[in-house]
Amino acid sequence: MTTQFEGIYHGLGTDVGELRLATIGLGWKSVTTGSQVTVAASDIKYVQWLRVARNFQLRIILKDNRRRETFDGFQREDHEKISHVVKQHYNVILETKDVSLKGWNWGALDVQGSDLAFLVSNKTAFEVPLSQISNSNIVGKTEVSLEFAALEKKNPSTPSASKRKDADDELDEDGEH
Amino acid sequence: GGADDRGKAWKRFISYKGEAGIPKEAESLRIHIDRRNQTVVLPINGFAVPFHVNTLKTVSKSDEGDFTYLRINFQVPGSLAGKKEDAPFEDPDATFIKSFSYRSTDGHRFDNLNKQIQELKKEANKREQEKREMAD
Repeated sequence: MTTQFEGIYHGLGTDVGELRLATIGLGWKSVTTGSQVTVAASDIKYVQWLRVARNFQLRIILKDNRRRETFDGFQREDHEKISHVVKQHYNVILETKDVSLKGWNWGALDVQGSDLAFLVSNKTAFEVPLSQISNSNIVGKTEVSLEFAALEKKNPSTPSASKRKDADDELDEDGEH
Repeated sequence: GGADDRGKAWKRFISYKGEAGIPKEAESLRIHIDRRNQTVVLPINGFAVPFHVNTLKTVSKSDEGDFTYLRINFQVPGSLAGKKEDAPFEDPDATFIKSFSYRSTDGHRFDNLNKQIQELKKEANKREQEKREMAD
């Protein structure tokens, strides 16, 4: 039995695709380029559900070195279906990760696995992979600045995002006090 | 004095009570100004991260080569020390985000965002001023 979801993004990519969940594992395929991502059922450690910019994200945490695959674009009402399917196929519980939407700029920084997380009232406001931090500087006694690698460097197969008129807004620097 | 202290209590504010409040425009992974909720929504690694107008201090734009930079500065403890309009903080010992910088090749868009954020801040200041006058 296969369950399929349409209008799904892989990672931070802008290609829309289809995600299929089957007993042997899950697979995503871009409807525009045909590129594919697959995860074997035996590699799945646990799965999470969280609100991101493109509606909801299904996050698959793999047994291998805490690596993960993320899929954005799910609707709120997909939760029940996914929760059921991952339990049935992969014997894992779909955990909900609470996200802060308070709009506050104060909280706590926390290194969680391979991410730097900013928490507001103990809920995640955002995460940035540590691998994406290209430079950091200590400014004065109480400040640190972080620079983030531009996305296109990691994705040489797509035209340089920075040259496109419709390029996403790139986060360049983040000063923490 | 009593009057001064009364004006300096931290007043709670919130951008969105639940995830359903996040505007549809955030899906584009671009900066969005949500005037209705007095909030700037920033795209950070796929998250839609709201910042309420009360956390905003200043915004500035600069051009360097092919890129335009937009820098958003936030209210942090110490930056307004001693001034009459000193903003109180819920937890001055927390870690504060002091600023975010974004870059784009679309200078026109960032120019527009810069103006919108300044306008948002101006409106909020005006409302605050009116409230203060009513209270006096």
